[in-house]
Amino acid sequence: MFKLDRKLITIGMTLAMSSTFALAAASAQCIPGVYKSKPGAIDGGVIYPRENGVYTAYRYNTQSTKGVSFGRTATANEIKAWDVDARPDGTGLPEGEGTVEEGDELYETQCAVCHGEFGGGGKGYPQLAGGNQSKDKDGVVITLKNQREYGKTDAPKRTVGTYWPVATTLFTYIRDAMPYAHPKSLTDNEVYAITAYILAQNGLEVDGEEMDDDEFVLNKEKLMKVVLPNRNGFYPNIDGPKAQENIRAFFADRAKNIGMGTRCMKDCKDPGGQDGKTPAAVAKIKYEMKDVVPPYAYAKDLPPETEGGSVSKAEKLYDASCKLCHGTDTMGAPKVGDAGAWDAVMKKGMDKVLVNAIKGMGGMPPKGGNADLSDADTKSIVEFMVNSSKKH
Amino acid sequence: MNREQEEKLTSASRRDFFKKTVSVSAVAATGLVVPSTVLADDENIMHHVKWGTTLGDECNKNPYGVPSKYEHNVVRRTSALMSSAGDMHAAISMTPIAELEGIIVPNGLHFTRTHNGVAHVDPTKWRLMIHGLVEKPIVLTLDQLKRYPSESRILFLECPSNSAAEWKGPQFGTAQFVKGMMSCSEWTGVRLKTILDELGLKPEAKWMLAEGGDGSEMSRTLPVEKVLDDVMIVYAQNGEALRDEQGYPVRLMAPGWEANLCVKWLKRLEFGDKPWYAKEETSKYTALTASGKAIQHFYALETNSIITSPAPEKDWTDLKKGDLVEIEGLAWSGYGTVKGVDISFDGGKNYVEAQLKGLVLPKCWTRFSYMYKYEGKPLLLQSRSYDDSGDIQPTVNQEKKVVGVEGVYHRNAIVTWAITEKGEVSNVQIRS
Repeated sequence: MFKLDRKLITIGMTLAMSSTFALAAASAQCIPGVYKSKPGAIDGGVIYPRENGVYTAYRYNTQSTKGVSFGRTATANEIKAWDVDARPDGTGLPEGEGTVEEGDELYETQCAVCHGEFGGGGKGYPQLAGGNQSKDKDGVVITLKNQREYGKTDAPKRTVGTYWPVATTLFTYIRDAMPYAHPKSLTDNEVYAITAYILAQNGLEVDGEEMDDDEFVLNKEKLMKVVLPNRNGFYPNIDGPKAQENIRAFFADRAKNIGMGTRCMKDCKDPGGQDGKTPAAVAKIKYEMKDVVPPYAYAKDLPPETEGGSVSKAEKLYDASCKLCHGTDTMGAPKVGDAGAWDAVMKKGMDKVLVNAIKGMGGMPPKGGNADLSDADTKSIVEFMVNSSKKH
Repeated sequence: MNREQEEKLTSASRRDFFKKTVSVSAVAATGLVVPSTVLADDENIMHHVKWGTTLGDECNKNPYGVPSKYEHNVVRRTSALMSSAGDMHAAISMTPIAELEGIIVPNGLHFTRTHNGVAHVDPTKWRLMIHGLVEKPIVLTLDQLKRYPSESRILFLECPSNSAAEWKGPQFGTAQFVKGMMSCSEWTGVRLKTILDELGLKPEAKWMLAEGGDGSEMSRTLPVEKVLDDVMIVYAQNGEALRDEQGYPVRLMAPGWEANLCVKWLKRLEFGDKPWYAKEETSKYTALTASGKAIQHFYALETNSIITSPAPEKDWTDLKKGDLVEIEGLAWSGYGTVKGVDISFDGGKNYVEAQLKGLVLPKCWTRFSYMYKYEGKPLLLQSRSYDDSGDIQPTVNQEKKVVGVEGVYHRNAIVTWAITEKGEVSNVQIRS
């Protein structure tokens, strides 16, 4: 046994020495994949120098690029038009205001079809309000510690009130990217109103003032003072002059902070479990997700002949402008193919349905949000939708 | 001869063929290499084939070429679970990684993540604004951007949600869905530092906001240090213009970092002294850990690997005992360059070293290979990569011990394929 061990040690030493030689040889002979580098990148990785026209395996042009300058100076108006972002301290927030009550009405017509009543979420779209905001003695939102393992089924809820760090993000998110099917269509006042409504649904207050009051008015000054419950729930700290150093230090210790493996080669043990000792076992797929699109297929054969083939212009327009809401029954709009739903719609008569399609109705903006559609195109789309929804 | 008779005959001769193959394999094994008179003759050799006896298509029938019709099943796929909304406009499609070769993904198969659908940008109306804490704020057209000297890099792009469905246990039954939220391409564009050198970045500029022009107005904050190191503004992918799905005409490229940070349909870069807390770096793309707090500004994708042959969709059911077969896979790291890959056959108790092959580049897919003598025994096959920054791919237990199972993002735990005696492959996890 002792002999064997000694033998192993000798082999180990030989290996260690040969790998040292290999490394030395590598830098001398430029072995592919072995590049000069230094540690300390902000993301925890290495930094490769660009020197003498060589950057890792790549060569680069060493001729001077000084004076290479294209494009033109941006005008003040152009910058004003595009520079509309806002930061947590309120920098960049526009003037304007909106009440919780106005937000409630807007939310009902513009947002509830996806995000559910009162921000409660629905059918796969993000939940905006709800969840338990209670904190432990260290100021951590308790339910965010939920882990769905070992039979536990309560998920951590990531709503504005339980998870988001800052409220200014809510304003820019809604203004820039919402409503989902026709983003950037709301005025700043409307965005303040919807922001106020969502913050109110989360039971939040600003400067000691409850927001859950129809008369509450949200504006720039109040929004920048809103402190969300989970403001301190994120790390590393990216605020202040030491932000970069905090990030660098965090990613430098990846084993501790994000998890890392070990290069064990023989008789490796991987204890785990709730007690730290339970041996690992083979976990199999319990319920395989096979519902994929296109379906799984691997044959090297000719594709099946497609029938008909040509799609009408109306159907193409429908796909582009209307299908998002009318393609499912989750959006509150009558689903194409649902004969019952369309029978109810057509009781109003085709003329009235057409007017609604052109002018908008309820949660639907005029022409489904696509102002480029002509009235004639809109008519052909409506006819396509009606014809596709007739009983067979 | 009618069709039915023909089919009977063909299948009979096929059966014959296999029977005879088996009976002579013993002879073949002794090293006999003279032409066999015992084996059935292959019809595809004995007779002229259709494509050899007819005139093919005109040479430029397809001015923009398309794959062989026989490859129609090699496609991106998605599923309802790959949606971050209730529909497929904010969703992800997966690259068929087990069916690809080398390290370059064809542009039509590059995985796609959108937050408000695939935008179609008119390149003549596209503008890029660079402003904020710079001496000279500018606006560029696409032609002007392309006037800057270009660089090309072969880089992987990975969504930080890759494998997010697998935190609580194995869920998908194919390599495409286990790790297909990634691709690798040669990207061409301008090194951002080249442009900034002329614009005069102010010393108080610590952060850069990158903003997209699609309906989601995707925006993210990056530290200037990274921007000046290796960030690029790219307009070409594998030699041609970016595909719409990849941000045509221009996207940001932050090598090794979350694909989400490589903002598509790029519109604006602003330099500032404080971070922005944009929507996709607060409500999403932050990794909630078991402590109840979340990791923010999670940049580089960790060292990672997956065996792509065998894989559930590319199994070993055609192998005979004693066949010498290549185990092949992909390794990558956003921290640097893959240094090596270890292979385990027993679910991680023991490992042997695989070999790297082909190009070994930083922040790029790297192929690994191991020659294995197939014995028809059940196996728990794994790969474990490590890189030149010191990062080593963790086991499922090692990773969840530190971050828990609810983080969604940055999952790089070792993947295990269970192989049966028949050579069938399935996705399992070694965990407790």
